[in-house]
Amino acid sequence: MFETIDQVVTLLRQQRYICDRKLATVIFLALKMNKPVLIEGPAGVGKTELAKTVARALDRSLIRLQCYEGLDEARALYEWEYGKQLLYTQILREKIGSLFAEMEDLRAAVEYLRQHEDVFFSEHFMVRRPILQAIASPEPVVLLIDEIDRAEEQFEAFLLEVLSDFQVTVPEIGTIVARHPPLVCITGNSTRELSDALKRRCLHLAIGYPDEERELEIIRLKVPELRESLARQMVSLIRRIRAMDLRKAPSISETLDWAQALVLLNAEQLNRELVEETLQLILKYDRDVQQVSAQLPMLLEGANGAARLTFDNMDLREQQERYRINERAYFSSRREE
Amino acid sequence: MDVPITRFVALLKRHGIAVSPAEAIDALQALDLAGLDDRETVRVALRSTLVKQCQAIAEFDRLFDLFFSLPASGNGASPAAPGTASVALLPDESGAEAPTAAEGARAELAPVEMDTDRSTRAPVTPEYEGVDLSLFGQHLLLQQRKDSSETGYKPTFHVNARQNPGMPGGGELSLGDPGDEIDLGGAVAALLADLRALEVDEDLLEQLEARLAGGLSQLPELLRRYRARDAALQRPRDAGAAPPRPRRSYRFNDHERRQMDEIIRRLGRQMRGALSYRRTANRRGRINVSRTIRSNLKYDGVPFFPVLSTQREERPRLTVICDVSLSVRTTARFMLHLVYSLQSLFSRVRSFVFVSDLAEISAEIERSSLEETIDRVFSGEIINTEENSNYGRALEIFYERYRSAATSRTTLIILGDGRGNRNPPNAWILEELRRRCKQVIWLTPESRGSWSLGASDMPTYAPICHKVEVVRNLDQLGRVAENLVRSSFANRR
Repeated sequence: MFETIDQVVTLLRQQRYICDRKLATVIFLALKMNKPVLIEGPAGVGKTELAKTVARALDRSLIRLQCYEGLDEARALYEWEYGKQLLYTQILREKIGSLFAEMEDLRAAVEYLRQHEDVFFSEHFMVRRPILQAIASPEPVVLLIDEIDRAEEQFEAFLLEVLSDFQVTVPEIGTIVARHPPLVCITGNSTRELSDALKRRCLHLAIGYPDEERELEIIRLKVPELRESLARQMVSLIRRIRAMDLRKAPSISETLDWAQALVLLNAEQLNRELVEETLQLILKYDRDVQQVSAQLPMLLEGANGAARLTFDNMDLREQQERYRINERAYFSSRREE
Repeated sequence: MDVPITRFVALLKRHGIAVSPAEAIDALQALDLAGLDDRETVRVALRSTLVKQCQAIAEFDRLFDLFFSLPASGNGASPAAPGTASVALLPDESGAEAPTAAEGARAELAPVEMDTDRSTRAPVTPEYEGVDLSLFGQHLLLQQRKDSSETGYKPTFHVNARQNPGMPGGGELSLGDPGDEIDLGGAVAALLADLRALEVDEDLLEQLEARLAGGLSQLPELLRRYRARDAALQRPRDAGAAPPRPRRSYRFNDHERRQMDEIIRRLGRQMRGALSYRRTANRRGRINVSRTIRSNLKYDGVPFFPVLSTQREERPRLTVICDVSLSVRTTARFMLHLVYSLQSLFSRVRSFVFVSDLAEISAEIERSSLEETIDRVFSGEIINTEENSNYGRALEIFYERYRSAATSRTTLIILGDGRGNRNPPNAWILEELRRRCKQVIWLTPESRGSWSLGASDMPTYAPICHKVEVVRNLDQLGRVAENLVRSSFANRR
């Protein structure tokens, strides 16, 4: 268990996840306050990875629920195994028959049956779906509810009981309360606004793109083969590209893919041909690729030219400003892609 | 600790960040756990518990900086030796002095205000209530370690209780003319006497006295800073009360946007919630008795394979046609906002704008932001917006080219005032569309009473539509959304 915020940072780092204090504070609070964390941010900044890493760092097992359109209670919470119930009734038919043979009239038989109906609505006939699994687990776990904004709003309502009280109510059985409240991580891409009721129950964590140093650190950790100078060039270029008005800006996962590719290609340094050939790795839309390659000479000049510091700095500051604006625009737009 | 936090929450609320009481309690708990040693930790603890919307984070950070900013210069430095005249007067290990400093400040504040800016005097009493002078001591309370909070907190309360009778009141001073000197030393003496009456520890009082002597000389500087901060906290609120920005800019504030989205989503929820009678076999759902028995006949009626079925959900398909001519320019901004939100929130929406020509803007909306879309529409890039609106022609174009956008599952929404400038209304097309679509809804900004004035074709169009509603602002839209959905589904059943 984490005792201090710094410990969170260290433990996550041991699990090869670089995080800042801000993120660690929220995780720390979530554990201490027994509250779910709602993690929002652009795709590929390590939201899911965070949950996985925390599970590893805490040495807990991770139960993952991937949300999708049409996800319902039966897939997320629990489901009755009708087939098994029917099978059992058929196999037990004789036994049931003999039990009822002694009954003198129908009324008594029904009464008798009612006393035993809980046999067929017991946990034995229940399929546990991720959420119930997490609640009923004998050990504390980490429950990851991934990309919740893909599911419908009604689904959020199912979650409310789980999130605030860590319990699941099954009408036929009763309420199942968690022995150990799981650490719940909910991730979302801000493609739609989540309901206030859900948000109220969670701690909120917005993850954005990392700053330059942190991104370098991440590359160093994940792709140690990449030479330092190239990594610097790369990060600088990536940040410039992020500052552009693109449909999907490259995030950390793309940076890492690219770094990996550059290692495989034995690249010495970034030049125009190399970047153009590998641009597909970091940009996912044709329009974006075209836009970036058109401006590539300018972008690269900035990334390589350490000598032109004054111009560079001015440019960067401007770029950063734009990048910040873009980021804000990203967060405020809730349009479905 | 809870006093400053409640104040801060009140401030957030005033700036449009919704915080529920439960969240405020969470915030306190979080601070308790995270500790108050590190400013950034406090910030994150508050942010993660109080602010749940990504858009509000920037505003939160700004307010946080302002609210907990005053003693910034003294922050971090170890408390200066008693008596040294410095800003270190404020952050200190013992909380007892804090309110005293605030008290002294209160006495000084009035004249300073009168000197600098008389006009701000008026709001002081009612408006400043949220951020009154005891804010001055807030930082201190936050700075305290947990262990000392008990001892530090009680005196605060007592002193505050005594402050009014013991001190010259702010309102009183404001009436006097600038020439009136306030006996600050006297005020402090009175305060100390008050404190003695409360039987506060003697040593503490002596310390206090010594410190005040040094601190008083610094007061003007402190007050100036305090006032600057206060003004910064106050400003956005005034801006909110200012008259709305000129319409030509077509800007939307976040609140408007959220409200619109909320209404549209409500509309969509109700539409989506509608189930058709058709049941489909599915891997999940309820047991369909008749089908189960039928398919299990081969097992001697033993229901080995239950057949489950669910009701199919009908997704609304929307086609929106929006008039952007001059006659509706005042409401076109709102209407386009509506169109934009509709398309952003639903998967199958096609949007059109027209004046005399008609063009599809679905792709436009997919690509660009709301403001850009509106700018492009009104710049005349897509269609000529300077022409007179011609509903008949627009309908004709729609019918000729985009008929495929109107199917038996489509709800057609037309936004416009129906003023076709005496051009042929082509009502037959609307009739035809009504026949093809599931529903035709007309939203007009003009109230029914004015339809008969001038050349409005609304009386012709209105009976053809399933529904005609007057919508000019968000509130009306909200109401319409509710009625619309309720009645349309009542009709279908």
